[in-house]
Amino acid sequence: MSTIFRCVMVLAFVFAATTAMAQQTIKLATVAPDGSGWMRELRAAAAEVQVQSQGRVTVKFFPGGVMGSDAVVLRKIRLGQLQGGALTGSDLDGICRDAPVYSLPFLFNNQAEVDAVRKVVDPMLTECFQKGGMRMLGLAGGGFAYLMSTHALNSRDDLRSSKVWVPANDRVGEMTFKNGGITTIPLPLADVFTSLQTGLVDTVANTTSGAVILQWHGKIKYMVDLPLSYIPAYVLVDEKAYAKLAPADQAILLRSFNAAMNRIDAANRRENVQALAAIKKGGTQVLTPSPTEATRWREIGVTTTRQLDKANTFTPAVMANIHRILATQRGGK
Amino acid sequence: MKRFLAALILVSALGGCASLVQKAGDRFAENLGKAVLDSEDPATVRDGLPAYLLLIDSLIIDQKPGDAGNAPLLLAAAKLNGAYAGNFTGDDKPRAQRMARKALDYARRATCLQDKALCESLGRDPEQFSAVVQGNNNAVLMYALAASWAGYLQSNSEDWEAIADLPRIEALLLRAVALDPKLDGGQAYVYLGVLNSLRPEAVGGKPKQGRAYFEQAIGQSAGKNLYAKTLMAEYYARLVFDQELHDRLLNDVLAADPKAPGFTLINTLAQERAVKLLESGKEYF
Repeated sequence: MSTIFRCVMVLAFVFAATTAMAQQTIKLATVAPDGSGWMRELRAAAAEVQVQSQGRVTVKFFPGGVMGSDAVVLRKIRLGQLQGGALTGSDLDGICRDAPVYSLPFLFNNQAEVDAVRKVVDPMLTECFQKGGMRMLGLAGGGFAYLMSTHALNSRDDLRSSKVWVPANDRVGEMTFKNGGITTIPLPLADVFTSLQTGLVDTVANTTSGAVILQWHGKIKYMVDLPLSYIPAYVLVDEKAYAKLAPADQAILLRSFNAAMNRIDAANRRENVQALAAIKKGGTQVLTPSPTEATRWREIGVTTTRQLDKANTFTPAVMANIHRILATQRGGK
Repeated sequence: MKRFLAALILVSALGGCASLVQKAGDRFAENLGKAVLDSEDPATVRDGLPAYLLLIDSLIIDQKPGDAGNAPLLLAAAKLNGAYAGNFTGDDKPRAQRMARKALDYARRATCLQDKALCESLGRDPEQFSAVVQGNNNAVLMYALAASWAGYLQSNSEDWEAIADLPRIEALLLRAVALDPKLDGGQAYVYLGVLNSLRPEAVGGKPKQGRAYFEQAIGQSAGKNLYAKTLMAEYYARLVFDQELHDRLLNDVLAADPKAPGFTLINTLAQERAVKLLESGKEYF
């Protein structure tokens, strides 16, 4: 009798476990609107997951920021209302303290440096997010943000008389401009377009494709040709939701979304070049700082990074790797 | 078509006057446009219209260069080519792009014939362009140019130069509806509704404004423009994730009689699209 009972219990358990693994829905939020290149690739990944997992895993999207800001999305993930998102904000440092590391000011001079660093540091970020309870399915670079303004920024000093926007809650951004003696106007991204129109701000930073998509380019007359900050976006899934998937389905999810983020990364590189050509054609002047002036700009970045290093903001091993790789890239200087 | 050509030749022979042929051509293109819009069979339009587009091309070739009187035929050709590119080219993207490019070229040629200041502003920066548009009073011309430009953007949505022109299209439409809110039965508001429902509020978009424009379009057509409702569901309701509104709008479209002067063809297309959207909406929401 007890053997039968045990068998029944085991069967019931197996049945329950199979049912639990039979169908999982991963709800992901993103600010990218449906129909955008980002969403096309993410939906392609979701379709691939659906087919390859034979319907066991469904990925459902909430695009267009309908679930709120990154901070709100993260709260909803904690409450189990969402399982993840494609996120870019500095709010991610609460999960992984190294999340904003690629966006340090004037850290990179070009894409080749980014590529060399990412080869080593991306896996470290994956581990960092995992420790914070999130599985990183992929990372795509949005490209470099550049300073853009309604008036000429021929020197660092020109910024002092400018109305400079920084994203609300962007601690590193505020610290950077403060180090340059520049007063900033923190605003949510949603308010920047109107603020450029009304003149509340006159200087912003964005990727070239971002400036066109958000229609800031109509107001922008000048762009400083010096990469200010590299903008990454992460697709993250709550570890608890990830753990509910069978190992084979976890692999499918990782593979499909990682490939999609790589495609997005490649597309962003092309699109930023095309967007730059478009805004130049529209009349925006690209200002190339002299070597002396470029060094003055970069000094702000160096100071900011040193302060953050000193405050132990980022994992020392991550920073050590970044400094080492960049030194090698720059000829061991 | 032979009969029409014969009639044109007859008019030409009888009148011996280029302006008569021109007027006949304008009237033909205008009437063809009306016939197309009143058709309740999209397949007929899809299969039949290309021959007439070629015919109109031939009439345009025959135009005396530089004559401002050429503009109405160029604008009619722009409208028909644009409509075909946007609705009847299926998955043939290069074809849609060719036809949309042609439509925009015709609209630009008409602009340059009718309005020197607007023509010259096309190459200026967005702010200078907007300033010229603000001082322009030719609502029909601005709307026709904007509609062809929007069609071009739709067919070339991966072309960053085309994307960067979006504020210019919006400036033209806003000025056109400010001058004449009833323009094209309120259809100008549909374009504004779509343009304002592309960017989420979280990044500075104004979806509420988009909704207001769609509602203006519906109101201006006294509810006859079903395409306004279909696009409001597709762009606005999906952007703000409002399934109740999405489904209600599309069910309204399907329950309505598509026959309405000037709207029959687009209403029929709107119903076809509504069926697909209701189906895909089950996965979207």
